[in-house]
Amino acid sequence: METAIRKRPVLITTVCIIGFIWIVGSLPAVFSPSIKKLGDWYPALFGFLVAACFISYIGLWHMKRWGAHVFIGAFFLKEIILIMIDDVSYPGFVISVFFIACMTAYYKKMDVNL
Amino acid sequence: MIFLGLFRESILFAINALVVNKLRTILSLLGITIGIFAIITVFTIVDSLEQNLRKSVQSLGNDVVFVEKWPWTFGPDYPWWKYMNRPDAEYTELDAILRKCDGAQAAAFVVSSNITVKYKSSSIENVTIICASHQFDKVKNFEIAEGRYFTEIESEAGRPVAIIGDVLAKTLFPYQSPIGQWIKVHGAKVMVVGVFKKEGESILGGSPDTQVLVPVQYARSIIDIRNNNLDPQLLVRAKSGVSNDDLIDELTGLMRSIRKIQPRAEDNFALNQTSLISNQFDKLFDIVGVAGWIIGGFSILVGGFGIANIMFVSVKERTNIIGIQKSLGAKNYFILLQFIFESIFLSLIGGIFGLIIVYIITLTAGDSFGMEITLSKSNIILGFTISILIGVVSGFVPAYGASQLDPVEAIRAS
Repeated sequence: METAIRKRPVLITTVCIIGFIWIVGSLPAVFSPSIKKLGDWYPALFGFLVAACFISYIGLWHMKRWGAHVFIGAFFLKEIILIMIDDVSYPGFVISVFFIACMTAYYKKMDVNL
Repeated sequence: MIFLGLFRESILFAINALVVNKLRTILSLLGITIGIFAIITVFTIVDSLEQNLRKSVQSLGNDVVFVEKWPWTFGPDYPWWKYMNRPDAEYTELDAILRKCDGAQAAAFVVSSNITVKYKSSSIENVTIICASHQFDKVKNFEIAEGRYFTEIESEAGRPVAIIGDVLAKTLFPYQSPIGQWIKVHGAKVMVVGVFKKEGESILGGSPDTQVLVPVQYARSIIDIRNNNLDPQLLVRAKSGVSNDDLIDELTGLMRSIRKIQPRAEDNFALNQTSLISNQFDKLFDIVGVAGWIIGGFSILVGGFGIANIMFVSVKERTNIIGIQKSLGAKNYFILLQFIFESIFLSLIGGIFGLIIVYIITLTAGDSFGMEITLSKSNIILGFTISILIGVVSGFVPAYGASQLDPVEAIRAS
């Protein structure tokens, strides 16, 4: 078992902190009236995305590759949904792409194990 | 198959946590229960109110324009003193609209008042009497359960005929059909020719269940229809294919010419449509929804901390078992999923209790609200979603901690 403690770069720490703040802000949005108005299943879908992002940030905090994988998967799913409901947020898109770039830069230093 | 076993095991652990530490677990789950209860109750009431409002607005007619004195807009800058001096809608204006308005499919003149209705020794006070011209059935959405609508001759000649609401029919004629019976309306004898289909309470008031409809030409003989307290209205329904906006444009020009208003002078009438009412209520419902969202959000947050606390304690208590499981070959993800499933299950129990309380309230409190309150499918989905989400978010960190434990250290733990 690989037990080496990997040092977390400042950039990834910053990404995680911003991510956790975003999660705290997004959790109440799951059951906000505006999301509910989009359709019966949108709160569930949005809730799944928030949970996936939360898990990915915990993975990244521990410098795990699966954190990056989950984040990228959640990012694509989120963008598909936003395109479907015609509510694409360009600042949000740019920030997510920046986060992915940061993860890619340190990807090789991340742990492959769970 | 391994996942099913894992799932079963997690549920058993969660049940065990509930059974062994009943009070601790119940107190922690109470946060989730209260949170789900608060959010779903508010959403259920708002949804039910909205549904009732839409039904009421629909009964007024989505494609009907109301010509009257007062506009249906409200706010701090409402110049009531200006509107008060406006002339009331008149029966003579109806003729001009019917003859000249191309976009109108039908139009009716309506006044209403409160009167007493009697039949033999039975008497009902404060009944709304609707006095309407013949095309009322074409501008207002209603159904007749028994009997018929007025004939054109009855309407034009002002015959003493009436259509009564379901509640009135059942109260005045509990053991016989009201059709053909003579009731006293404001002291005058009127024959019942029809009964409105039961509609129930309306959020906007004015349910046809407690109304009496008589021809306006007959009403002239029992009440003063020119009295401005009777709120005279002209109801104009748009032809199919004609939008409300187009009809309003046409009616504006027509009413200005009927009332001979100078080109630069302001309109002395209001053209109202039902969307004005629903827009006002939409704003109110949004505010109530956000309030419920904030209150419930905090409860859910507290509930999430409770679940996280239980899970941390659970990991601590079962450290030896985790060590044994790992030493026997259990993978990290197995331990991780085991605790996440347990957290989700505990959170779901709290959420289900919250939903059950809401459901019981919808069954019992409907009568107090004077309308039907239903727990909708979307709100049930939302309740489950929130529970699962809180279970995942609050259980992931303890679960991940458990999955990362060193088996040797874990077995040694006391």
